[in-house]
Amino acid sequence: MKSIAFGQYYPAESPLHRLDPRVKIILTILYIVCSFMCKNVLSYALLLISAIALVMLGRIPLRIVLKGLKAVLFVLGFTAALNIFWTAGEQLLFEWKFIKIYVEGIYAAVFIMIRITALIIGTSMLMTYTTTPIALTNAIEDLLSPLKKLHVPVHSFAMMMTIALRFIPTLTEETDRIMTAQKARGADFTSGSLVARAKALIPVLIPLFVSAFNRAGDLATAMECRCYNGGEGRTRMTVRKLRFADIIPLFLILLFGAGLVALNILKIGYTM
Amino acid sequence: MSDKITVENLSYFHARKTPYEIKALDGIDLNIQSGTVTGLIGHTGSGKSTLVQMFNGLLRPYEGRVLLDGADIWAKPKDINKIRFRVGLVMQYPEYQLFEETIYKDIAYGPKNMGLSDDEIRERVLEAADFVGLDRELLDKSPFDLSGGQKRRAAIAGIIAMRPELLILDEPAAGLDPRGRDAIFNNIVEYQKKSGSTVLIVSHSMEDMARYCDRLIVMSGAKILLEGECREIFTRADELSAVGLDVPQITRLMLALKEKGIELDTSVFTVEEALEEILRLYQDK
Repeated sequence: MKSIAFGQYYPAESPLHRLDPRVKIILTILYIVCSFMCKNVLSYALLLISAIALVMLGRIPLRIVLKGLKAVLFVLGFTAALNIFWTAGEQLLFEWKFIKIYVEGIYAAVFIMIRITALIIGTSMLMTYTTTPIALTNAIEDLLSPLKKLHVPVHSFAMMMTIALRFIPTLTEETDRIMTAQKARGADFTSGSLVARAKALIPVLIPLFVSAFNRAGDLATAMECRCYNGGEGRTRMTVRKLRFADIIPLFLILLFGAGLVALNILKIGYTM
Repeated sequence: MSDKITVENLSYFHARKTPYEIKALDGIDLNIQSGTVTGLIGHTGSGKSTLVQMFNGLLRPYEGRVLLDGADIWAKPKDINKIRFRVGLVMQYPEYQLFEETIYKDIAYGPKNMGLSDDEIRERVLEAADFVGLDRELLDKSPFDLSGGQKRRAAIAGIIAMRPELLILDEPAAGLDPRGRDAIFNNIVEYQKKSGSTVLIVSHSMEDMARYCDRLIVMSGAKILLEGECREIFTRADELSAVGLDVPQITRLMLALKEKGIELDTSVFTVEEALEEILRLYQDK
């Protein structure tokens, strides 16, 4: 139950965990851009290596990372199949009735699989596994703060996200508790028709909503009692300063991007 | 006296195989005798609530067995719901589980899940409401119109209406004022006497336990520390205070008097008994 309560965050001591969350968000965006710049065998190999390097840097057990990938296994397989069967090219590899498989199709399928895998590993390693949700929201608020000049309510937006994230574990726990209590009265959530199962959830949802509304009311009162009136003049208890070690990864990713561009220009190996 | 529940070498972990793994129960052996009121005491996080969720099959042990009337409750995992009707569990703050439009319907939820007829349900709901001292006029009200104490009673009635052979109450008096506490405990003890069922009360209040329970089980750090009659347990004040639990205040007073060299029986735990004991001392003189 606790594992759900903390989201995907995996506590560990690693360079990625220590990295400034603001830098991690920028890195994630740049990494996504980089993954779309790959055009040939070598650059895809480089992308795959970078994903493996991220997993090692984050010190997350491979078991956990693979479990995360299992969720998208279907998407992976489906896109790969689409690419194999629907990519037309010059070198025909296999033909049977209306099915024609080209070498280009195989390449396209492998490439797309590497790209999706790297995208998922990259974003999850840089953000969800190694950064607590609260640190992420704070970082988003910092990065979006220039928009305050345009009167975008960045602080309120971040506060809403913080509150929502803060209450996910609480409400999960609450749901768990209510479900257990109703099970003790003979509720059955796992058998019967779809309608029967949906109906079985009513005794859980009603108490859950009642308590969620109560909590929201209490929280609003508590915030008002502490004179909360929005972001004006508010400071943080801990302010993160950008260290030199936080800037190095930004250089690395730029180098990575430059390398990909170079490989594209050189056109070594198979190129799409 | 036969055993209602027997627990053999029970172990359980929370969040198993994650970085948050905690051993919640560690090789527990115990039995609860039929027709008694047993108290389960322990500090927060000692595993009390986890243990009671084992008794009606809400949690499945990783190791060990739970026997109800000598039969393993997990013999047929598909029939675990039947066990839950036989072992009624009132969870902590049960008023948060009320959901129906009226109190009557809410108390009827359990019996309805048992598949009983409407007449039978009606009989049980009224009986349960009487047991917990809930006015019949309240039965047609919405649960959200009731006071905290009344909601608590209604929630307990929802379990009693299933007529469980073993009734477990997890902190039934938490958050109630002293009068509410006494009323709830008196209702429970009275219910036990009238129905002849077995009752297990989880609490950390020694005073309440001393007054209402026949036997006590003391838990500490996922293990059973002590088990026995109230009188026996409270004579071992040192062991109790070592794990952060206390004997009832009045017992502490008697122990302090004894330390001053006054020869009296320290195995008392209600004010009335203490009074008797002190009066006896005076008369002897």
